[in-house]
Amino acid sequence: MGKRKEAKLASNWKQLSASGGIIGLLVLVPLITTRTDVITWFYLTLLYIALSQSWNLIGGYAGQLNLGHAAFFGAGALAARYIWLHFGLPLPVAILGGGLAATIFAMIIGLPAFRLKGIYFVIGTLVLAEILRLVFYTILPEADVMPMKLLGTYSLIPRYYLSLLIAVLTVVIIYWISRSRLGLGLMSIREDEDAAEASGVDTQRYKLLAFTISTFLAGLAGGIYAYYSAAFRAGGLFEPVWTFDAVIIVFVGGVGTIVGPIIGSVFFVLLKQILSLYLPGGIHVAVFGVLFIIVVLFLPGGLIELMTKFRKRTSVGEHLH
Amino acid sequence: MIFILVAQTLVNGIQIGAMYGLIAVGLSLTFGVMKILNVAHGEFLMVGGYIAFWLFTLYDIDPLWGLPLIAIALFLLGAAFYQLLFSGLTKFHEEIKMKNTLLVAFGLFLIFPQIARWLWTADERAITPMYSGESFPILGIQCGYVPLCGLVMAVVVILGLHLLLTKTYFGKSVRGTTENWKSAKLMGINVERTYLITFALGAALAGLAGVLVGMTQTVTPDMGMPWTIKALIVLVLAGIGSVGGAFFAGIILGVVESVSAIFMGPYTVALGMGIFLLILMFRPQGLFGKA
Amino acid sequence: MILEVKSLSKAFGGLVAINNLDLGVIEGEIVGLIGPNGSGKTTLFNLIGGVITPDSGEIKFNDREITGFKPHIVCQSGIARTFQLTKPFAQMTALQNVMIGRMYGSEPVRSMRQAEEECEEILEFIGLGGRSLSVAATFGLVDRKRLEIARALATKPKLLLLDETMAGLNPTEMEDALQLVKAIGDSGTTLIVVEHVMKAILDISSRLVVLNYGVKIAEGKPQEVVQDKKVIEAYLGEQ
Repeated sequence: MGKRKEAKLASNWKQLSASGGIIGLLVLVPLITTRTDVITWFYLTLLYIALSQSWNLIGGYAGQLNLGHAAFFGAGALAARYIWLHFGLPLPVAILGGGLAATIFAMIIGLPAFRLKGIYFVIGTLVLAEILRLVFYTILPEADVMPMKLLGTYSLIPRYYLSLLIAVLTVVIIYWISRSRLGLGLMSIREDEDAAEASGVDTQRYKLLAFTISTFLAGLAGGIYAYYSAAFRAGGLFEPVWTFDAVIIVFVGGVGTIVGPIIGSVFFVLLKQILSLYLPGGIHVAVFGVLFIIVVLFLPGGLIELMTKFRKRTSVGEHLH
Repeated sequence: MIFILVAQTLVNGIQIGAMYGLIAVGLSLTFGVMKILNVAHGEFLMVGGYIAFWLFTLYDIDPLWGLPLIAIALFLLGAAFYQLLFSGLTKFHEEIKMKNTLLVAFGLFLIFPQIARWLWTADERAITPMYSGESFPILGIQCGYVPLCGLVMAVVVILGLHLLLTKTYFGKSVRGTTENWKSAKLMGINVERTYLITFALGAALAGLAGVLVGMTQTVTPDMGMPWTIKALIVLVLAGIGSVGGAFFAGIILGVVESVSAIFMGPYTVALGMGIFLLILMFRPQGLFGKA
Repeated sequence: MILEVKSLSKAFGGLVAINNLDLGVIEGEIVGLIGPNGSGKTTLFNLIGGVITPDSGEIKFNDREITGFKPHIVCQSGIARTFQLTKPFAQMTALQNVMIGRMYGSEPVRSMRQAEEECEEILEFIGLGGRSLSVAATFGLVDRKRLEIARALATKPKLLLLDETMAGLNPTEMEDALQLVKAIGDSGTTLIVVEHVMKAILDISSRLVVLNYGVKIAEGKPQEVVQDKKVIEAYLGEQ
């Protein structure tokens, strides 16, 4: 076996065992601690990992800017909530139903938009999220509250494990895609759509495929939230903040990488906790906005790029000795 | 009786449509010339509304007289943001430029409402000079004084813009730059400055629309996005690239909404989406765009 | 006839780019396509490649009509092309660039491993062997052109359209490029080559086609065509 191949296999094993170890630890979290704030923190981070990775697929790998991701998260959350809470079906059915609901909306925008130039997709997703937000604030203005009986027996633990399951599932799927022929095709579309077409890539079909998977996963993430949240207003599920959180996590973490959104989520949830302690109202959102713009303009590779640069600098230092 | 109802609906639609058109034209201009889709366009509208509100509340300046002030203020604000954030991106080739400017604008869209909420609270503000509620009948139709002024203002501004773009040197440089910025540069046109002024103009137009909205509806920190969306729908309806068409498409949308409100009531918001999808599926070049 | 273009026309607004053009290409030929700037050469490539659709006329490849087919279908049918200004997948490695061609082209391979192996060979053949894991954005002009050709070759084309490969190359690089084009021709691929560098095109073409204002004004053996009065006038007119 060639040296390069040997090294690759070795690093694959390293990655696999590291991931396995981390997942193992995460499984143990509720058994190690009973502090709800800690478990909630983990839960939130996992939710954001799932949501941001789902955006990473269409935005980071395929390069299509979906600025209305909230539409799919919200559709998933609302559908899952109704299927589980109001129609009384088992949770797995509800979660899957949420994913499905999200992809239905994805088709509504994706099918017409991907036939046209990229800007129509951007506008289409923005418009969709906003319209859904307004429509649901109008037709479901009252908060959707968990019944007393349920609140009485509410336990954070299953919510945590659900978020762990979906986060792991999402990361595995995105990881697998990124190493596959599909992933390569998506990246070529991101880099240069015309050249990809000329090289035989059916760009329209692949964009639609990436979008379908991305929105399905976003819908699953919505389901996590629906299962967790004691009360929410339907319209609130479609607020732009859900899109923005996903997008900023991906960019700050490292767009188009697997580890980026994971690091980004941890960083984001931590920073959010800290900032909301010291800053009034929603100012932490503004801080993230500024951070986001700085990343886009000056550090497009995000934290991953920063880490790589740092690693290069320190390893060069070693060489000099 | 029916005639009055129909005519009233039409007039209402035209008046609100003029506002749609005004804000859409600014967005269309920015995108058409520089390929920057400013999703924070509505934020400039919001700022315009707030400035008009404070000028009126603190200094008793009638919003209609304050319009030129708003226009200048937003022009400067737009120019500042362009220079600070977008000017560095214009040198990239089109796809990267479009993506990155979009992302930066998206960042702005999140920052503005928070700053506004922090500075001015989330309270709804309405700009209500003495003549606010007044209306007078024309041919039996009640025309609100304010909406009518708004319509007149919008038409005047659009005509002014049209003259600017067709009769002046600046207008020529805009058209030249839109067509092919490389050849424009070779011909001696200062492309950078053209971009700067165009962006600032777009912001100013949004600000003016903001004053109108403040007078006919309310001003809140979060009003930006819904108006940006409206502008985007009008943009697609008109046809991306048709700046003049954006104004007419705005009026058309206003009228269609006004008529549909009779049947659809609170669900009229979904109408915009429906129109958007229809255009995408059957006439992507919009009403006035080239195929 | 591997490629048949019949009565092809395309206008942009008022400007006629291709005017009732007939063109036939025989399998195994290397056809040189020349003409002053704006004569429609790249437009013709775009029409054949499916990037734009003609206003009238037809394009047939191996007796199958491909007029108006989308670019990826055209590629999968066996026609590959390069671009005047190279279009690499900048953030992807050279190997990945070529793998796209191999995995999505006319004889698509689904196994990543197989694609990797075969694409390493293609890169070796084209002279980029050591740089397969380098990111395309780091490549200079010459290597970018090589990469573009490698990617096109990876799609296993029967017909390859080369758009101004020699532009910007120094004499040594041009010589290498010529050898490469000849080698591609020798391996059985039919070629249509657009060039401005006369020496190069005369060297490699078995036949020359001259366009001016979207119309074919001359066609035939390179040495004869170059002496054709109409051709000389067309180029002088450009002066």
